[in-house]
Amino acid sequence: MKAPAIRGLGVLSGTEAKSVAGASAGADWGSAGAISGPPHMKGLKNETVDSKLEILALPRPDRPGDRFRRATRECLLALAAVDAMLEDGKTSREAIAGERTALLYVTAAAYGASNRAFIEQRGGVMHFAYTAPAVVPAEVAIEFGVAGPYGILIGGAPATLRAIEQAARLLEAGTCDQALVLAVEIFEECADLYARHRRSYRWPLVETAACLWLERGAGALSFESARDGRRAAGAAEPGERFAAGPLADLRDWRARATAGPVELSGRWRGEHARLLWSPDKSHARDSAA
Amino acid sequence: MATPERVVIAAAGVVTPIGQDLEAFWSSLVTGASGISQIERVPVEDLRVQRGGEVKKLGRIKDWRGVPDCRASRLLIAAADDLCAQAAFRPLPLDPARVGVVVGTALGGVEEGEKVLAGDRGRRRLSQALYDGPGWALARWLGARGPVITVSTACASGATALAVGADLLRAGEADAVVAGGYDALCRFVLRGFDALRSLTRDEVRPFDRRRSGLLLGEAGALALLVRERDARGPRLGTLLGYGSASDGFHIAAPEPEGRGLERAIRAALADARVSAADIDMVSAHGTATPLNDRIETAALKRALGRRAHEVPINSIKGSLGHTMGAAAALEAFMCLLSGQRGLIPPTLHLEEPDPECDLDYVPGEARPGRPRVMLSTSMGFGGCNGALVLEAAR
Repeated sequence: MKAPAIRGLGVLSGTEAKSVAGASAGADWGSAGAISGPPHMKGLKNETVDSKLEILALPRPDRPGDRFRRATRECLLALAAVDAMLEDGKTSREAIAGERTALLYVTAAAYGASNRAFIEQRGGVMHFAYTAPAVVPAEVAIEFGVAGPYGILIGGAPATLRAIEQAARLLEAGTCDQALVLAVEIFEECADLYARHRRSYRWPLVETAACLWLERGAGALSFESARDGRRAAGAAEPGERFAAGPLADLRDWRARATAGPVELSGRWRGEHARLLWSPDKSHARDSAA
Repeated sequence: MATPERVVIAAAGVVTPIGQDLEAFWSSLVTGASGISQIERVPVEDLRVQRGGEVKKLGRIKDWRGVPDCRASRLLIAAADDLCAQAAFRPLPLDPARVGVVVGTALGGVEEGEKVLAGDRGRRRLSQALYDGPGWALARWLGARGPVITVSTACASGATALAVGADLLRAGEADAVVAGGYDALCRFVLRGFDALRSLTRDEVRPFDRRRSGLLLGEAGALALLVRERDARGPRLGTLLGYGSASDGFHIAAPEPEGRGLERAIRAALADARVSAADIDMVSAHGTATPLNDRIETAALKRALGRRAHEVPINSIKGSLGHTMGAAAALEAFMCLLSGQRGLIPPTLHLEEPDPECDLDYVPGEARPGRPRVMLSTSMGFGGCNGALVLEAAR
């Protein structure tokens, strides 16, 4: 399969939360690098959350406009990731608008926060529609005018690698002219639940929102997956980013400006996937524009 | 551009409020049976609307040992049991590593999340609560060790899953794929739709002047997909094409002109290499909300042109309720059975046509007809639009 070229990549990571554009200084709760939890579990913190189990949280970005009044943190982070991607691509939002842009969204668990809020009816009424994973890419589509083919995959890092492969396939088939692969993972609102299953994850859990902008390229791409029965999830270092891991890894690879192929890999529920991306100068940050 | 390899729907299995196997489902559809009843499995006393398409007793499988105590997983596995009974697919007749699973859902295992938050500390509850939990449970039950994919394009999820399953086969990642959709009725979704005031106290009346909303239903619907060159024996039909498009308009409301759905239909026709004139029947999303049915009518008219006025168009949501992640897969199977059996199920409870929904929506009784190529449309939260083009086997 022909490899797509990278036009831009925006990654917001809990490891560097201060870099989030428009982030509220008074974020709803928690702060990067701290063991934290939402207000309703303050009293539970010491009982249910091991102090060694960190969540590197991203603050809720501020976004002006009444439309975002009820938007969830994961939606706002998705929008901020697209902003960062456009900045990386040195272009404006008009470049991704229209029917020829595909949007593929991946998450393992970002909907957990809104689902929990709705179930527990915390802090007023959560608009039910915001509990659907589909609403995160919907906010991106609305805000940036993306109206092309779309897909939403639920799963960890292998699902993201598969989404990149799907994007390459859509581009190769001429179904779209550019494709966005969006991944968002947040953990803080469900910190106590993750802590219950501490051995299932590699800590710290690193909140990440990332968007990769692809267009047709000249290299080669191969994807493979296998089930090896191991339970470890995710591939990113440090810690665990679930679906957002491969995009953070790609960002790190670009930052190193390494020549040669990019190999992205990840694991989830015993599935191990690998994406081999042949050299393409568009991968390098300096030529991304 | 090369024509994509054709993918056959070799068999299908279902569990629905109107029948717990494909034959019972079909018989109920053509006889106009309704699966709507008072909801009994979860408390609904505090809700404005307390009815839906509930599967009363999941009776297909007698021994649930080894299967998670999770309604969504069990709906999926009951549908798979029907599929396997028809296709002799368990134990797997081929290398398990070459069998994939692709399921679509709007809710995943969210009911397990409700249990966790209510204090249930079961070891696997949290894992099942993730939206891909039931898909993995299905793969374990089948013994499939190929790719396991969960898609969640809201109420278009079943269509997306069938399309992604076909892509896995074309890409050579699997030699057989069990694909479809599911969703269970639970407090979470009943409360949500109740709060949105989307549910009706009346019958579900797609395209009727008096329509006042939808009712929710639960179901599992799975197909066995194989490449045409690998297909042996009887088959239901062929998946010819798929298209999707986002509205980019509103998180919950459809775009008022149905432009996203129109784009999805056009993309599906192009993917299938057919024209509007080739379409013999349409299975509409047809939720019976005032907005959906009018918008869908307009989108069909624009996408199909004159052909929209010539072909039968039905909605089966009056019989089942809106089965969310399962809906598009069930509607696809209904289309294929219509082509095979020569009958088009009616749109239940459509009695007073709406002047704004002026197409042939098959009111009254099942109608004789043997469509060959069918279009099935889906719309969901977040402006997810999907369309499938199918061809019935003869």
